[in-house]
Amino acid sequence: MPETDQVTQSQGRRTGMVSGFGIASAVLALAAVVAAAVIAVMWSGHRAAASERSYQARSMQAAAEWTGVLINMNTDNVEASLVTLRDGTVGELNSGFDASIAPYREVVKTLRSRTTGRVESVSIEEFHRDLDSQSGRRPPESLAPELADRTDTVLVVATSVSENAGAKPTTVRWNLRLGVSDVDGKPMISRLESVR
Amino acid sequence: MRNLARVLAFDVAAPLAAISALLIIGVMLEWPLWWVSVCSILCLLIVEAVLVNAVLYRRDSVTVGTDDDKPGLRLAVVGVASAALLSAAAIGYNSWVQPDRVFTADSADVVRIATEVAEATATFTPSDPNSSIERAASLMVPERAEAFKAQFGSATADMVKRNMSAQAITMSAGLETLGPSSASVAVLMRGTQSAPGQDPSSAVLSLRVALSRESGSWRVVDVSPINAR
Repeated sequence: MPETDQVTQSQGRRTGMVSGFGIASAVLALAAVVAAAVIAVMWSGHRAAASERSYQARSMQAAAEWTGVLINMNTDNVEASLVTLRDGTVGELNSGFDASIAPYREVVKTLRSRTTGRVESVSIEEFHRDLDSQSGRRPPESLAPELADRTDTVLVVATSVSENAGAKPTTVRWNLRLGVSDVDGKPMISRLESVR
Repeated sequence: MRNLARVLAFDVAAPLAAISALLIIGVMLEWPLWWVSVCSILCLLIVEAVLVNAVLYRRDSVTVGTDDDKPGLRLAVVGVASAALLSAAAIGYNSWVQPDRVFTADSADVVRIATEVAEATATFTPSDPNSSIERAASLMVPERAEAFKAQFGSATADMVKRNMSAQAITMSAGLETLGPSSASVAVLMRGTQSAPGQDPSSAVLSLRVALSRESGSWRVVDVSPINAR
């Protein structure tokens, strides 16, 4: 019965000199398992940080594109631009879009203005101080959590030059704070505020 | 049963763990050419050892994991596997955890310095004309600080003569770009200017502050208006 022999043999050894190596192996194996767990934690942390950065980049991109349409509205493209702008919004800004933008549409049409705008700066807001909070103005509400996972604020600085029919060109400086909400992974504009 | 456990642990799990650790290190280092070559050599050696182990098992019916005469070899196998995993953990800390922490700390730092300098460049008190200029200059790189002082020196004299004062408060500051050694911050401020006998006038000032990391700390390289047109 070689099988039994082997077992008795090895059991005899286990109580003897093997134990030193065995303990060392077990300690090393434990260290390896801990290292593997630490690597898993670091990996998930790093992935979260990386996806955070790429999401912020996409938010900035979305805000820049949206503002680009807003500041380049002309008589010829006003209808198409407004559709693009409305499609890029979500929440209150979307539901109240037609009402709030209607006067603007009339102005663009009657003035027959030609506007060329350029986005000068796009940034993720890291610091904000509401200078008018004392005057009782209520801070804009953020989007309902069931609509968006998160809302970031993107600062956009832009310049546009309008040439109205029969008048000299006027330069408009835009200092905008855009709320960009994550709607099913797609960044959409949920808040539009002008910094004054 | 005990033999099966030993085969799974020493003959299967250990080489797999070592190979995965080597591959993970590659991911962490983003596969530089030297690691591609080192990693393939090491992986090849491990695969070779596994094959030798399998061949010897067919010949002697005993593997590294089950050979009672060679406990030292088993310790060496476990040692190699855990060394690989521990190195991967150390490299991961260095190339994932550390840069992420630095990025977070940097984004707070550059915004703080940029708002401070931006406010100082747009603030002026006739009674103490140089205080805000000095404050801004102290956060700039030396070359830029000199140019900045010279540039503002002439404007200062005029403002002192007219007894004007200017105040700027940051409303919003945002991060445009942030790299390991350079950053750019947009600062929107409300600037208020007042002179005796005139109503104070206020306007939104938008400045872009460029920073660079000089021997460990962030310094301002340039301050310029965003709406230059």
